[in-house]
Order: sequence, then structure tokens, then C-alpha cells
Amino acid sequence: MKIVGVSACTVGIAHTYLAQQKMEDAAKKLGDEIKIETQGTIGIENKLSANDIKEADIVILAIDVKISGEERFENKKKVKVSTETAIKSPNKLIAKLHEIAGKQILNGKARG
Amino acid sequence: MKAFLKKANFKGHLLTAISYLIPIVCGAGFIIAIGMALGGKSQDSLVIGKFNLFQAMATLGGNALGLLPVIIATGIAFSIAGKPGIAPGFVTGLAANSISAGFIGGIIGGYIAGWLAFAILKYFKVPSWAKGLMPTLIVPFLASLVSGLIMVYIVGTPVSWFTEWLTGLLKSLNGTSNLLFGAVLGVLSIVDFGGPINKTVFAFALTLQAQGINGPVTALQLTNTATPIGFGFAFLVAKALRKNIYTHEEIETLKSTVPMGVVNIVEGSIPIVMNDIVRGIFAAGLGGMCEGAILMSMTQGEGATVPFGGFLMLPTMGRNWWVGLLAIMANVIVTGIVYALIKKDIPADATENQKQVTEEDINLDDIQVM
Repeated sequence: MKIVGVSACTVGIAHTYLAQQKMEDAAKKLGDEIKIETQGTIGIENKLSANDIKEADIVILAIDVKISGEERFENKKKVKVSTETAIKSPNKLIAKLHEIAGKQILNGKARG
Repeated sequence: MKAFLKKANFKGHLLTAISYLIPIVCGAGFIIAIGMALGGKSQDSLVIGKFNLFQAMATLGGNALGLLPVIIATGIAFSIAGKPGIAPGFVTGLAANSISAGFIGGIIGGYIAGWLAFAILKYFKVPSWAKGLMPTLIVPFLASLVSGLIMVYIVGTPVSWFTEWLTGLLKSLNGTSNLLFGAVLGVLSIVDFGGPINKTVFAFALTLQAQGINGPVTALQLTNTATPIGFGFAFLVAKALRKNIYTHEEIETLKSTVPMGVVNIVEGSIPIVMNDIVRGIFAAGLGGMCEGAILMSMTQGEGATVPFGGFLMLPTMGRNWWVGLLAIMANVIVTGIVYALIKKDIPADATENQKQVTEEDINLDDIQVM
């Protein structure tokens, strides 16, 4: 499955990037493709292209604050969580995304 | 009710506003802290030839910090209504400042202005020839006027009474209650390492500082300063105990965590804490509790006149500067020793990837599918 998303926290120097890292690791473990854009205090990094968004099966927004460019994901299936959830339970979150998107987990044994 | 609260998203809008506020507090706070530490004083106006560099710095910072209610109002209104929220938020924030409703007024005003702008955009139908007038005139004019007047005539006065009452109450606190208040403040300041709780306490402490009560914001920022240093100190304590508590990656991280602490950025400790949340919070919470209790009880609730700056805050504490230093030291020592003691010994060659971390169950309330 292909996942795109945005992470953004209040201060934008720590949780934003931890959430990105944790979700990327968890998704790769399950054999998913993932790209997370970060909107930290420094600005937007790892920007999602229109093509990334078009091809994605699901959009994950791990955000505590208003993000810019949320309208890019109109008509996409979106899941919104706090950065805390993404950091604390990344594997379960990605598994949940599979459930919501209705896609099987390819690499089943890495679950849990 | 729960669905309404979730939809209204009070917390999310406040946090968005705070995320815009923080760089201003940090930048201006550092400028005013240096200026005041070197003898400057914030002036109402700078008259050419009648001020020196440090007075200029104190004034730069002081002016910016005086506008925090405006910034919080603008930020909240922007978070709710997007770009059209900025003008009414700004006007209402200034209204809150002029009627002495301060930071709380700014927060309330931001919600009013934002929702008004949002509602006008959504429900106010104009003929197509007037479409261009909507963002340039109708929304900014109507939303600013109505929310500004609500602030001045309805909300402002009760809020300023409330602020006065709270100020009076806190000023009357004596020894023991100051000790307890400080302890609670210290714990709340640090339990989530710069997260939403910390920022809420920060907003509260800033409100108080605007009323001339400097203790709370000092207690908050000094524990923010001390905690990252405390985690660095834990490394040394553990070494003395012949214990290994950090992985190689964590030791590398500590090299930036500690300097970040010195300049008052608590978030530097997050990568360390996230690897062992429960013990990290416990050690930091105990440290923060000691720090807050020492500071608030020994200074009778007085503190630094600037809201940010780490060690730079100490010179602005006047005769209490040594209490601030003592509080930082106590916090560093308590956090360091406690963390070194309760943390499990790990093999010297352990790395992040080998560690099996059990994952918390996902909080379903937090997931919104759209």
C-alpha cells in the first residue's frame, strides 16, 4: 500500500520529526511505501508532490496544529491523529490504516 | 457535547496560535533578557540620543512581548478561518490589550473573531458582482467590528476582573501555599516535555507575568532549562555508578540536548525521553517539582522579569538570582540522580534497533477518519 502524510507539532522541532521517523519505520516493516511531509518551525520539508498524493491509497495527518495545504488531500481518504499517537503506537497506527483503506498487509509476520 | 468539543477543536486552534507565538517569545525574550541583564530598561518610546544599546534591546523585546495577546488572537482566528481570520483576530487582540483583558482576553477574542469570520464566509451570501468585496471589505470589516465591540463591551471587563482576582489571589499566597503551587507548576511544566500541557501552563504563566507576577513563568522556564541538562548529568551519575544507561545514539543526541537546555529549549530532551517515557517523566517530574517548590517558596512568588532565556533569566531576578541558580541546580541534580538510578542497565553495544519496545494500545478517540 502507498501512504502519504504530513506531520506537524506545536513547536515544530521535535515531535514533528519523531512522528515522521516512527511512521516511516513502521510502514516499511509492513512492506508499505510511505512519504511523510514535515511542517516544522523551519517550514515544509520532504514536500509531497501532486503525483505522490494522486498515487496514495490513504493520507495520514499526524498533526497537532493547523497545516498548510490541507486542501491538497480533498477527495482522498484521510486519517487524522495527534503526533503523540503516531509516536507512541506507530505500528498499530499503520495496521489501522490498512484496515481503513481495506488493504491487506503484505508482510504479515512483522505485525505487532 | 463531546462531539461538539471535538468539532470546535479549542485545543487545536490554541496550539496552532502558540506555535506562531513561540518563535516571537523566544526571539524577543532573548533580546530583552540580554538587554536587561546588561542594565537596560524597557522604555515607552526611544528618543534619539537618550538611550544606549541595552535600553534599545530591552525596548525591542518589551514591545514585542507586550503584543502577545494580539499575536495569540491573530493566531487562533487564523487557525479557525484561514487567511480571512487574520484581520479580525488582529483588531480584536488589540482591543483586548486596550481594555486590559490581557492574554486571556486575547485567547477568547481570537475564538470570537475566527468563528465570526468563518460564519460570515459560510453564511453571508452576496450577489456575484460583490464577490470580490467579500475578502477585501465585507469579512474584515464586519468580523473585526463585531468581535472588537464584543471584546470591548461584553467580554473584556469580566475578563479583566477575573485577571485581577487571580492576580490578587496569587499575590496573597504565603510560604506553604507558594511551595505547593510551585511544586505543582514545576511538575506540570515538564510532564510532557514541551507538549500541550507545557504550552498551556506557559500561556497561563504569561498571563500572570503581564500582571506583574513573575514567579510562575520563571518556575516553568527554569525547569525547561534544567531538565535537558539533568539528562546529561544522569550520564555522569550513571558512569560513577558503573552503569550504562544510554545507547550510542542517545549519547550522540545528548551532545545537542544539553546545549539546547542551556538556552531554554526543553524539546531537546524529547528524543531521549521517548525511548523510556515512564522513567523519563518520573525523573523529570520530580526534578521539576523540587525546582518549582524551591523557587516559588524562597522568592515568595517573585521571579525573572523576562519570559524566556534560560540562564539569562537569572540576572533579571534581582536579589533572588541565586535562588534561580539553586533551583536549576536542584532540578539538574534530582533529575540526573533519579534517572540514573531507575533506568535499567543496558549492554554497552546496544543500539536502537535491537531494543524491543512494547507499544501502547492506540487511542481510538484520537483517530479521525475523513
